[in-house]
Amino acid sequence: MRRLIIVLLLFIAYNGKAQEKEHFSLFTDRDLYTTGETLLFKVFAPTDEQSGIVHIDLINTKGKIISGISKKITTHQADGFIDLPDSLSSGVYQLCTSTKTNSTLTVKELYICNRFSGLPESNSIVRLSESNRFVEKPVAGLQIDGLDKTYKKRGKVSFTVHVTSELLSQINENLFVSVAEIASGYTSGTYFKSRETEQNQIIEKDGVVLEGTVTDIKTGAPFKNGIVYLSIPDTFPRFKYYITRSDGRFNFQLDNYYGKIPVVIQGFDRDEKRLLKVVLNHHDSLAIGKPVFENSIRPTELRKSTQDNIDVITFRKIFNQQEITVISPPIKKTDAYPFYGVPTEIVDPQLFFDLPNFSEISRELMPGVKFSAINRIPTLQVFNPAIYNYFKGQPLVLLDGIPIHDLNVIKNMGSKEIDKIEICRSERYFGYLVFPGVVAIYSSKPDYSRLLESDDLIKLNLDAIQPDATLNSPLERRLNEMDLRQVLLWKPSQKPEQTIKLEFETSDIRGSFKLMIHGKTKDGSDFYKEQIFEVN
Amino acid sequence: MSNRILSIITLFLTLGATTLSAQKELPEIPNAEIIKGTAFISYPSYSGAPFLNENFMMGEIELSDGTKVSNIGLRYSSYRDEVVYYNTFLSAQIVIDKISLKGFSFTDQKGVKRIFRHQHYDDHLNDERYFEVLSDGKISLLAFRKVNLEQCDPSYDIHGLAYKQTYYYYVYVADKGYSPLNITRNSLLSKLDKQNQKLAKRILRKHRLVFTDEASLVLAWNILKENGIVFNI
Repeated sequence: MRRLIIVLLLFIAYNGKAQEKEHFSLFTDRDLYTTGETLLFKVFAPTDEQSGIVHIDLINTKGKIISGISKKITTHQADGFIDLPDSLSSGVYQLCTSTKTNSTLTVKELYICNRFSGLPESNSIVRLSESNRFVEKPVAGLQIDGLDKTYKKRGKVSFTVHVTSELLSQINENLFVSVAEIASGYTSGTYFKSRETEQNQIIEKDGVVLEGTVTDIKTGAPFKNGIVYLSIPDTFPRFKYYITRSDGRFNFQLDNYYGKIPVVIQGFDRDEKRLLKVVLNHHDSLAIGKPVFENSIRPTELRKSTQDNIDVITFRKIFNQQEITVISPPIKKTDAYPFYGVPTEIVDPQLFFDLPNFSEISRELMPGVKFSAINRIPTLQVFNPAIYNYFKGQPLVLLDGIPIHDLNVIKNMGSKEIDKIEICRSERYFGYLVFPGVVAIYSSKPDYSRLLESDDLIKLNLDAIQPDATLNSPLERRLNEMDLRQVLLWKPSQKPEQTIKLEFETSDIRGSFKLMIHGKTKDGSDFYKEQIFEVN
Repeated sequence: MSNRILSIITLFLTLGATTLSAQKELPEIPNAEIIKGTAFISYPSYSGAPFLNENFMMGEIELSDGTKVSNIGLRYSSYRDEVVYYNTFLSAQIVIDKISLKGFSFTDQKGVKRIFRHQHYDDHLNDERYFEVLSDGKISLLAFRKVNLEQCDPSYDIHGLAYKQTYYYYVYVADKGYSPLNITRNSLLSKLDKQNQKLAKRILRKHRLVFTDEASLVLAWNILKENGIVFNI
């Protein structure tokens, strides 16, 4: 019996340890923030993480996602930033890492103070009260040399980090090094939360996945075999489609798209018998339930720290001192030809005399394209040279790369509004879709407001992968200005070496600063080293 | 009797159900949704074969971005230099956009894997072609399997037109381009340095190789390669 208990205890201990190591480690530049400023973060991913994309979300006390970004995981790590909106009220927030597949979420508590309203009058503060705390061990194999206890304002600081060869062999990928101001009166904690992940989740490998459902408007039931188009306007517009299965769900993998991208999603019935509704999956919470909070007495220093922070941010806003510079994302290789095929004919209406509408343009400039209105319903047909007759169906009509079904959108477009028209006369196949010819219209000034949002059409500016950013260093030309940097050094991916020489410059801010070095070993354990110094 | 009718009805119902479900479900061919092309328009019917393989053979295509789609029915039209694939879901023959392909391969009726590569060919037409790779490497042996519609004796075709094979062979080096090759010993030897020519002659003589057809050319090429003889164009 005793043996059985011992075995059971060992099993539980092993499992607990395994779970502990399958987590994301999340670090931020500071713990206390003011609205309007930028939060910097660093994430170490577990080595067995399947997903190539990590989502970092800012969550309020009710468990609702306020804002979030997606980052690509490269060599088991990611770093980025979140702009804290001015609309946030003062209080405790959570920063949470998640992927489509990971069931253990890492949550870091933060305090954000609204720069217009300041701290609430109350003397109490709500803090996260979670039990599964993230534990990081101080490491002996890291030595910081040359970092003094005090420095002067605007002084140059250089120091060396020595890594023992034993630790060097254990470190997984990079180290994270930062120097930032410490807010007195508030230190945040990091916790783990578990959640149930849906089965058959699509793994985000190289980009974000856009998911949604198509339903029949009349019955509200999921619609099978509905066709969903995703269009991304570009020089050569991009296009994807999805044919829904019995659950009406669809998804699009947007690999290697960075920043904000305009996306149009349309859903329709292949037989054009039913009106459909397209709904995108909006995750406003991470389904981890409401966080547990406890009330505690607000430290007196917190009011001073937040007030100092507000002054700094206000000054930096006035003088437009940006904390970071966003690096241009890698340019996505343009396709060799448009998705609808190499056009058989290109018409530039502006080379001819002005024509008032599309009907006139098609009649005068587009032989083999018939635009007519039967019972005031406009129709378009393309001549098929293979059968010496017009195609029976309507061709794929694109306006700035976005498929349109209602030709009323283009009927009033005249020569001045059209830059060029590309025509494909053959029957075009795109996977399992067939188009009886293609007419692609490119307007002089692309304006997506021509397309009206409806139940089956969604326009959105999608937040794809966040581009990388670097911390701005003080510029010489701004030497006459106050330098109010709170983050003095930010090296999220420092290559580990036996000797690492680093340097930074202190700002005009007086107070305590902390040098933090975090890392992860190959067996998944987290370690850190920190040293505090003063700037007078 | 009633039992027989019942079983026949059951059989028909089962068949009907499978046919219906077959119509509704999309075939599970990974990446097939990204194949782009145009409808295949039948060629005029004359004597000779416009296709390298008359029947669709299971094969694989590689798109220009490196994506591969396998287990699709392919046939290569030597007449138009285009690859046609059979879309089982749409029951349609589709000419895959040449610009979208890096290459394709299929196994022919004899069980031989045929590999084709899409390459730019610098001639006065400056066109894009599919070349069959007979031997791959830094220096490749390629075949352009052209079939032309030519005038012929009415005894061969009553319309006086027939599809005739006009295959071209090239030695290809990426940075040097194409060098035409004929199925003759001298033509092959001309692709070698003078020093190597003597040695090559000896090797070919030793193997008693007679240049009669494409197979003998490929065999000679491979033997010389195996013996470490470097081609130079």
